[in-house]
Amino acid sequence: MKQTQICPQEAAQESPASASRRNFLRGLPVITVGAVGAPLPALAGQSGARWGMLVDVRKCIGCQACTIACINENEVPEGSFRTIVSTYSVKQPAAAGQPAGTYVLPRLCNHCDNPPCIPVCPVGATFKREDGLVLVDGDRCVGCAYCVQACPYDARYINHQTGKADKCTFCGHRLEAGLLPACVETCVGGARIFGDLNDPKSELSRRIGAAGDSLKVLKPEQGTKPRVFYIGLDQRFQGKVEGQGALWKPELHGGKS
Amino acid sequence: MKIARRQLIAAGGLAAFAAGFSQTLGRIADKLMGKDAPRHNVWGNAAAPEFTVDPASGKLQPNPAQQVSYTACLGCTTQCGVRVRVDKASGRVIRVAGNPYSPLSTEPHLPMKASVRESLIAFSRFQDKGLGGRSTACGRGNAVLAQMNSPFRVLAPMKRVGPRNGGQWETISFEQLVREVTEGGNLFGEGEVAGLRVLRDLAAPIDPAQPELGARVNQVALLSSVNDGRLAFARRFWNKSYGTLNFVGHGSYCGGSYRSGTGALFGDMKKMPHAKPDLANAEFVIFIGTAPGNAGNPFKRTGAMLAKGRSDGRLNYVVVDPVLTNADNRAAADRGRWIPIRPGSDSALALGMMRWMLDNERINTAYLANPNLAVAEQQGEPSFSSATWLVVTEAGHPRQGRFLRGSDIGLKIAEDERYKENDPYLILDAKGKPVPADKATAPAALDAEAVLTLDAKPLAVKTAWLLLKASILQQTIAQCSDACGIPAATIGALADEFTRHGRKASVIAHGGMMSGAGFYNAFSVMTLNLLIGNLNWKGGLVMNGGGFKDDGEGPRYNLDSFAGAVKPKGTPLGRNVPYEKSSEFARKKAAGKPYPAQSPWFPNAPGLATEWFTGALSGYPYSIKALILWSANPLYGIAGLRAQIEKDLADPQKIPLIISVDPLINESNAYADYIVPDSLMYESWGWASAWNGVPTKASTARWPVVEPIAAKTPDGQAIGMETFFIALAKAMALPGFGAAAMSDAAGQPLPLERPEHWYLRGGANIAWLGKEPVPDASDEDLALSGVDRLRPLLEATLTAEEWRKVAFLYTRGGRYQPAKDAQDEAHPEWQTNRFKNPLWAWSDMVGGSKNSITGKRFAGCASLQPPAFIDGTPMRKIYSEAEWPLQVVSFKSALQNSYSIAATRLTGIHAENPLLVHPADAARAGLKSGDTALLSTPGGAVSSTVIVHEGVMQGVVAIEHGFGHRELGARAHRIGKQQQPDKPALRAGVNLNDLGLADPTRPGKSVWVDAVSGASVRNGLPAKLVRA
Amino acid sequence: MNPTIVETVNVAREVAWLPWAVQYFFLIGLSYGAFLLSLPGIVGRRRGWLGISRLALLGALVCGLSAPVALLADLHQPGRFYHFYQFFTPSSWMSWGSFFIPVYLGGLVLYAWLALRPLLAQQAADGGLSPRLAALSRTLAYGGLESRGALLAAAAVACVGAALIALYTGMEVMVVRARPLWDTPLLPVQFVLTALAGGIGLTLLLKRFSGLPDAAQGSIPLFRALAATQALALLVGAVWLLLGLTGMSPRHAEALAQVAPSAAWQLTAIWAAGSTVLTLWLALRRPGSGLLIGLLALHSAWMMRWTIFIGGQEIPKTGAGFYQYQLPLGYDGLLGMVGTFGLWVALFIALTTLLPVARLTLMASIDHPTS
Ligand SMILES: Nc1nc2c(c(=O)[nH]1)N[C@H]1C(S)=C(S)[C@@H](COP(=O)(O)OP(=O)(O)OC[C@H]3O[C@@H](n4cnc5c(=O)[nH]c(N)nc54)[C@H](O)[C@@H]3O)O[C@H]1N2
Ligand SMILES: Nc1nc2c(c(=O)[nH]1)N[C@H]1C(S)=C(S)[C@@H](COP(=O)(O)OP(=O)(O)OC[C@H]3O[C@@H](n4cnc5c(=O)[nH]c(N)nc54)[C@H](O)[C@@H]3O)O[C@H]1N2
Ligand code: SF4
Ligand code: SF4
Ligand code: SF4
Ligand code: SF4
Ligand code: SF4
Ligand SMILES: [Mo]
Repeated sequence: MKQTQICPQEAAQESPASASRRNFLRGLPVITVGAVGAPLPALAGQSGARWGMLVDVRKCIGCQACTIACINENEVPEGSFRTIVSTYSVKQPAAAGQPAGTYVLPRLCNHCDNPPCIPVCPVGATFKREDGLVLVDGDRCVGCAYCVQACPYDARYINHQTGKADKCTFCGHRLEAGLLPACVETCVGGARIFGDLNDPKSELSRRIGAAGDSLKVLKPEQGTKPRVFYIGLDQRFQGKVEGQGALWKPELHGGKS
Repeated sequence: MKIARRQLIAAGGLAAFAAGFSQTLGRIADKLMGKDAPRHNVWGNAAAPEFTVDPASGKLQPNPAQQVSYTACLGCTTQCGVRVRVDKASGRVIRVAGNPYSPLSTEPHLPMKASVRESLIAFSRFQDKGLGGRSTACGRGNAVLAQMNSPFRVLAPMKRVGPRNGGQWETISFEQLVREVTEGGNLFGEGEVAGLRVLRDLAAPIDPAQPELGARVNQVALLSSVNDGRLAFARRFWNKSYGTLNFVGHGSYCGGSYRSGTGALFGDMKKMPHAKPDLANAEFVIFIGTAPGNAGNPFKRTGAMLAKGRSDGRLNYVVVDPVLTNADNRAAADRGRWIPIRPGSDSALALGMMRWMLDNERINTAYLANPNLAVAEQQGEPSFSSATWLVVTEAGHPRQGRFLRGSDIGLKIAEDERYKENDPYLILDAKGKPVPADKATAPAALDAEAVLTLDAKPLAVKTAWLLLKASILQQTIAQCSDACGIPAATIGALADEFTRHGRKASVIAHGGMMSGAGFYNAFSVMTLNLLIGNLNWKGGLVMNGGGFKDDGEGPRYNLDSFAGAVKPKGTPLGRNVPYEKSSEFARKKAAGKPYPAQSPWFPNAPGLATEWFTGALSGYPYSIKALILWSANPLYGIAGLRAQIEKDLADPQKIPLIISVDPLINESNAYADYIVPDSLMYESWGWASAWNGVPTKASTARWPVVEPIAAKTPDGQAIGMETFFIALAKAMALPGFGAAAMSDAAGQPLPLERPEHWYLRGGANIAWLGKEPVPDASDEDLALSGVDRLRPLLEATLTAEEWRKVAFLYTRGGRYQPAKDAQDEAHPEWQTNRFKNPLWAWSDMVGGSKNSITGKRFAGCASLQPPAFIDGTPMRKIYSEAEWPLQVVSFKSALQNSYSIAATRLTGIHAENPLLVHPADAARAGLKSGDTALLSTPGGAVSSTVIVHEGVMQGVVAIEHGFGHRELGARAHRIGKQQQPDKPALRAGVNLNDLGLADPTRPGKSVWVDAVSGASVRNGLPAKLVRA
Repeated sequence: MNPTIVETVNVAREVAWLPWAVQYFFLIGLSYGAFLLSLPGIVGRRRGWLGISRLALLGALVCGLSAPVALLADLHQPGRFYHFYQFFTPSSWMSWGSFFIPVYLGGLVLYAWLALRPLLAQQAADGGLSPRLAALSRTLAYGGLESRGALLAAAAVACVGAALIALYTGMEVMVVRARPLWDTPLLPVQFVLTALAGGIGLTLLLKRFSGLPDAAQGSIPLFRALAATQALALLVGAVWLLLGLTGMSPRHAEALAQVAPSAAWQLTAIWAAGSTVLTLWLALRRPGSGLLIGLLALHSAWMMRWTIFIGGQEIPKTGAGFYQYQLPLGYDGLLGMVGTFGLWVALFIALTTLLPVARLTLMASIDHPTS
């Protein structure tokens, strides 16, 4: 489908040079993904729609309702996450008038328009639907985790219950039921706005339009064309965060399978 | 032979290979047997949607396999109205979201007249409705559904085996439970235990020498937690039917000091009315010791409105807190600001701001000058204060510190009316004569004082305002700054900003007030609101809408009075009455030395769980014979309590009978002799209402949307609080429960034998309140909301005319006043639900009472007070900074509450609560993030991981509350033959309360409490930190 | 020094390519490295090389046959390996790899058979074997005549296969742009160099235990070759660092930036450089029996892969700091590695039972018979 350029940052794409370099490096003929990971007809998706999300960081209160609603909705195994709201304590400059501040950042699959997770899949199990959902066909996935490596956003993981690659689906099963993604439905701060990017009348399109230059995406330089956009995204958090990592307990990871 | 060795090695190699690859082989097998196939090839194991809405037409198509019902969440005390989604086949709760009718989950909330169908469509993509009318459940609210089938639930009556807190239980029949607790006997082979029957002695005094203590029945005491919509039922039994006076909740260790502070300002130290910022319309709010969006009640509603306000650009806010929390958000840095403050020093900040306002004439004196509501309204003010009223300041006068009343200057007042409502307060008129304030028709003199002559004696009087002003002038801004650690310039800037938004500014507090100066911090902070006159203004400080009353003598049923009801009398266990009325006082006065009392009394406090245990266990004012713990966890929740009483609590000689009603085993009821299972969250009945922060009336319907899984009574009802208390009443033949124990409005007798008798009739009362009763629920409403499950009960319990109206409430999950009713139609800038009594610049009750230890008078208005012990000795006098350089404070976890630890999805995100240490302090102790340190106070020590960053004031160590559990799954109990699973992760972290202090100025056992409010002190504990 | 940003809530992503993967890349590398060493003696008929080349071939076989098993185990759906062939996906190097592996292994096995056939025949003829073994040798020898043409053809196929393997194993990792540490054009080169070194190391070890005299001709060139790989590895490393430090290549700079601050990574870097220099020096000055340098070479080949794969996955792509990986004792960790080693040993013993090392190296110290 046409690669609509929504985010001003997408103008600032990766240099064509590096792009061509990558293609050269990929070397071998590249058949378009659609043709290979041919989605089952049932998955052709809502024609016309192009799903996207806007995260207004100013509205996020770090309550993790999204995180846990997603877990409940999608039976995400313990220790794995399709979305998480990273929380940081950030030392402030004197001008800020306070020694430190809280920065929260809801993360999930960006349903990239140019998703590096797709071409690497050796069996075409991961694919992009007409409506932009990037999905994994569990019937085909061999669980090689190549896509997990290829996603620049750590959005994918191996689901130890199913033994397949797993990630945010934009709750496509709810979209098809005319509902909203679980994390959006229950976003306490109202930070997550979801909708059809192709529908100019949708609240999403209107908010994105209103956002103007304040609209940002994560890692724009990767040329992935994320379809999850941010308002209030501090550039220090746009890529890999430089700082002290969370004291997170790996032993809390879900049972290996 | 060589060959053999090679073969051996080869065999070994193959064996290793087989072992290493067995899993791989297993997986291959799974594949062959199709084991690995998830529910759906793309959506994985996601549950099927609960219903479908055609995005084009909005047509709704329910999913017959699932039930969607509205009830309350109990993931925290906010008790939001939520939507519970249940898999009908398994009864498993799949997920919860918000109830769009409930203002606690939705802003603005859906009008009741919207059909259930519409309320479901409100979640959908149809016209982006789900975004506009977003109705939510928070992270905890989503996670706690795991508690429903937690392996740690108590599902049948249990009796301890072996010593108390031994972690060993046997399950017993309901009959045995009821028999043993009522009749007593040698229940544990430890000797005779008196049962509830004999303990219910309404005649014999506890102590003939101290008749004011009351009858022996008061030696049976019940501690509950929060009103989860079932409190009235429990009180009916314990207060009115069984007859004990001693029934308290957790208030004194929740936000007791804050509540007392507002109580003083609002003129009622027992009910303690309070108000909240109108976040929907405010322009500037200062949060002092409450962290909006991080915790707070209502948690979600506050967080949502804060988020909206700061991103819409309407709201600016400041959070004054030793700790950085999720109340701050750097993406909205231009709208919000965090100002660190030294623990326990909030009165200094408040007084500093007041001083600046005074010096810069920013105090709304015109507002303060209105002597009564009528005059205020003439002046366009929706509220008024007692600032112009006269206070007796004559030294040594018996009425010193109290307001001058009509009877004092000889107005004719019947003796029994003296100092009651009809005894008018007085102001000085133009000629300097005291005249009744309520008669005044114009603003009165503020800066007025006089020396009256009453029966030839001089009587100095001053307006309340002058007393407050004097208190403000007692220190400079610089001195305040030194005390609270906030730069003078910042204090000034805060005061400046605060007084630049007319009435659309306010100050609010809560848990941060639980320090050694709690009451005065809260009183001072809240008094700031008085000085700009923001009460009852849209955008200012607004009252809670409250709930629709289910209990009481309602329009349909009488859920209050009944024949044979007892009126409990006596001295409450928490001594929250004047010491001066006690026999001890009389005795000591006669002996010439009335003070000190043996232990402090708290005339201006509500019931005090904080004082219960140490008091009862040392027999002061009296000991108790039976303790009932209903969903309360004081040992986990009260700072310093465990160390004081854990030994005594384990000793059956001290408190012979401990019964708990609770769905879980917590740190407190682990000491119980019996645990009776109670319903959990979505299994419960009840009529819950918003604690505060909702300007419109709101009652949330709680009903068993899923079948309670606890064992059943002989007649097939689920065992729980209600069925247990009913059974007790029947066993002891007590009034108020049984065949004809209640009545309808017309007085026709009715049975009270099942929970629904109470709650459904309470529902009828609610349905009939207001101008006209609510409409009937349609069959579709019933079907779409799962309430058809209740239909048989509804029809059996209520009249034909009633049942569909009550069903209407259940289909909507409660009764909620329309959002637009928040403001008054006649005065759009005024709130509809106004507080019409005066605000008290000077507190008659506090200013007029004495410290029962020192006999010194308490200050009656906002004043700078350092954290101190009961006799007024400043904490730092005893625990010097030299020895205890740090101060520990508690802050609520944004994710956990005090009982959600077993909701493992929360710990999966945030596994423990490392001590939050400032880099400078960490450097001094040679600590970096991830290290283990030993934190000790005079009350105890804990060893824990530390996290180091600037998000805490230097000199402060902050502990996130909700971790450091010993129970609720942290310990595997043995129940009969069943061993609970061992989950070390549930023991993660530390509990600040294990560091709580005893009061060194008090003899015997004690926990550190605030001298006025009697509230637990958990903030500002002196401490030291070393590497471990 | 206190960090400006402290992460208070975030989660760690698990390592998704497990030690299995490291083993695969290690073994397949050793295999094609050793395979190349088999050529001078067997195909090139260089003086004094025959024994060494045969040992190398043995090593190439054992590693080559155990490698794919480790790869299979790294799949979370091993039962679906056939999907690779059912759903060929040309955009994926891994997909291509699934076709290259059979090419290489097919070629290798055929080549080995053709090369060893005469020995089998001879062994059967010499007698003195258990009847079962004799019979087996005979059948396998299948006449045992030496067909030079076929041998060359098979060797050619195996060569092409080896090249493709070398190419794809490097590229598969290199194209992962999400991991700066992987996404460097030098990575494939480093893989190849360490693979060759590993191949040499393995052969040196086999030789050490084969009873071939240390002075056996062929070992000298082995030492030299090893030295060469180490020298090149150092060179490449230097270039890598240079590109990173100067920022001439943003990718390298990014990669460097990610690991530079970590003490653990600094140690690893020093270790790697140190052991390479040591190997180089020993290979040139004190080759000795080859045991030590052989081990060193193997160790570098392993460590390089372990660090790249496991270490690389410990670097969060978005979050702060590092994820700590602890090697599990079970299937996904130690037990799995032991398992693969077990398989290796079993295969080695099986093959050497069929064709004892002694026989492989027989007459290897003298010139090739037919020249
Ligand atoms: N250090 C420190 N101490 C604190 C606080 C703090 O922030 N820091 N917070 C204070 C505050 S604000 C409060 S309100 C108190 C709370 O203290 P408490 O009210 O005494 O205890 P809770 O843990 O809130 O809940 C009581 C018990 O209710 C039971 N329970 C849980 N869910 C359900 C249910 O669905 N139904 C029924 N029937 N029972 C249930 C559990 O056993 C739980 O332990 O703690 C106070 N203590
Ligand atoms: N997420 C979450 N929400 C909750 C709860 C929960 O457990 N978790 N519990 C619910 C209950 S029962 C209640 S009562 C409310 C309580 O809600 P809050 O009162 O807002 O929460 P607290 O954490 O008790 O106290 C607020 C802040 O006071 C700060 N503080 C500590 N000492 C001082 C001091 O001396 N001065 C000042 N100015 N600040 C100080 C703490 O750092 C903390 O951030 O939250 C309710 N909502
Ligand atoms: S894990 Fe599954 S989806 Fe991902 S690359 Fe491998 S096969 Fe494709
Ligand atoms: S975020 Fe990652 S997983 Fe999602 S589409 Fe982009 S690359 Fe693929
Ligand atoms: S859209 Fe659905 S799957 Fe994706 S993060 Fe939100 S809830 Fe999870
Ligand atoms: S639910 Fe919304 S507000 Fe809460 S953490 Fe997630 S994004 Fe932030
Ligand atoms: S705020 Fe409290 S009551 Fe409301 S949803 Fe969250 S946990 Fe439940
Ligand atoms: Mo509370």
